Amino acid sequence: MLNTQGSINEFIPLFDFEKETKRWQQVYKIVNEPKPDIIPTRREAVWKKNKSTLWYHPAKEKKYKIPLFFVYSLLNKSYILDIGEGSSVIGGLTQLGYDVYLLDWGSPGYEDSNLSIDNYVIDYLAVAVKRAIRHSGIQEISLVGYCLGGTLAAILASITDLPIKNLVLSTIPIDFSIGIVPNKWLEALQNGHLNFDRFADVYGVIPADIMYAMFRGLSPIYISPMVNLVTRAYDEDYVEKWRRMDKWTKDATPFSGTAFKQLINDFYKENKLIKGELMIGDKRVDLSNINCPLFVLSTSRDTLVLEPQSLPIMDLVSSKDKTYQVVEAGHVSLALTGMFSIIADKWLSSRSEEIQPVFT
Amino acid sequence: MTNEKMYDPFEGFKQITEMLEKQINGLLFMATDNNEFVRLANTGLGVHSRYMELLRKNQELLAGFMNIPTKNDVANVANLSIQAEGKIDILEEQIWKLQDNLGVLNKDNLELFQEIIKMIKQMRSEFQKTVLEISELKTIKEDLHELRKGLVDIKIIQVNLRDLKNELNEIKEAQNELVEMYSVSEMKTIHPDIQEVKLGLNQLTEIKNEIAELKGLVVKESPKGKAKEKELVTIK
Repeated sequence: MLNTQGSINEFIPLFDFEKETKRWQQVYKIVNEPKPDIIPTRREAVWKKNKSTLWYHPAKEKKYKIPLFFVYSLLNKSYILDIGEGSSVIGGLTQLGYDVYLLDWGSPGYEDSNLSIDNYVIDYLAVAVKRAIRHSGIQEISLVGYCLGGTLAAILASITDLPIKNLVLSTIPIDFSIGIVPNKWLEALQNGHLNFDRFADVYGVIPADIMYAMFRGLSPIYISPMVNLVTRAYDEDYVEKWRRMDKWTKDATPFSGTAFKQLINDFYKENKLIKGELMIGDKRVDLSNINCPLFVLSTSRDTLVLEPQSLPIMDLVSSKDKTYQVVEAGHVSLALTGMFSIIADKWLSSRSEEIQPVFT
Repeated sequence: MTNEKMYDPFEGFKQITEMLEKQINGLLFMATDNNEFVRLANTGLGVHSRYMELLRKNQELLAGFMNIPTKNDVANVANLSIQAEGKIDILEEQIWKLQDNLGVLNKDNLELFQEIIKMIKQMRSEFQKTVLEISELKTIKEDLHELRKGLVDIKIIQVNLRDLKNELNEIKEAQNELVEMYSVSEMKTIHPDIQEVKLGLNQLTEIKNEIAELKGLVVKESPKGKAKEKELVTIK
């Protein structure tokens, strides 16, 4: 009799009622509760301009002299880099002894419809870097760009005479001839059969919902996050991270129409950046002007910025000290898990002038 | 018990949905990857844009009739504040530059003050040296004064000596006259005069000794004095 019972249990696995109850309780909670508050790492505002804010996150215990300056994409909100204790990239780096500055672009309003990439680079990014350098009291700074923020950081590094000590670029699009959209769409963009100019002009600032819809259009069926949640709803840590991720994913940002047109025409259509034809202000962007130590990071499971899009920068820069690394992660998960801080620290630690402890 | 396999109905569901999601997205990707769809999308985009343009135009028109501000008006006002913010930033940066320049000036001034203090200290020590030298000079002056007095005395003595010399010469002449006379009587009358002359000679030798002593003192007191004395002698 007992043997028969044992064999049935082996054949039909046990159903864990406790786990299932917890799972559905959590799902109920998520559905009914408001979205979580993202508590940032200790910070203070150094400078504000229009909607942008330059945040300063002091090191828990300063170990490195050279501070880090983070530039995030214009297409999403920058709090993905500081998504909460335990998985925050910025929190991780302050813990490791770096002073961190983050330029939060903010959400453009209708009055910002004329903001171009030129304005973002010259009037915001360059000024913010200058202010961060002055605030830190250190003569040099390491520039860290993520996604499109990395592209902007590379542009700035190639046109500025600001003292950039190191340049770290993560999952950056440099070659825009390779796309994540279907080939025919890319071809239509390149030969002008698909034109967004009128659309961008009439909206002035592309609303956040349209930007979200464009991203969703890249993978219209998007049920896996919900399925993942239900599957692991009994795990409180996972649920907490999932809620933060869910909030960030749906919290899209509007995009200035002028910058949008410039992105489509100068970058995707004519691929001016890689050709060295891009003009920012009155300066030509020549990536060979970059000669500081460079670290480029790509992710193998990236569906938004493909590895071949980042790779060409390695041959375009003049830097003698340059490192390229591919990590097993996704475009967002690299930041979401805080993994980026550990990888960046490995490269930066030897290039950020470690402060020698004074023994008394 | 721990080795018993627990039934999780969602693991399988997850795997199936992941697979389906990937497949459907792939299908949609392929379905949209054609020129006709792109043309359709572009037309749709154009129609939507034209419709939006018309809407915005009418919005502006209506707002104009009703005399109410539109989003454009608000944006214009917002732009003014953004411009003001930019100007404040520029001013702040200019203040930085001034601060930096002042800092450099302060540094230079500090260096200058330090140099001045150093110079003052040096001057002080040199002044003290000068004071010492002046006091030394005063004593030298006093010495010189005394020497001058001594010289005046010497001059007086010289004059006296000259007078004595004259007297001696006269005495010698008288002696010679006496030798020529050879008379004893006369000699007897002259004898007291000779005694007087002898006394005079003794006094003269004493004066000579005193002069010699004085000279010795002058030489001992200062070699400069000697030079001065020589000078005085030569001037004379």
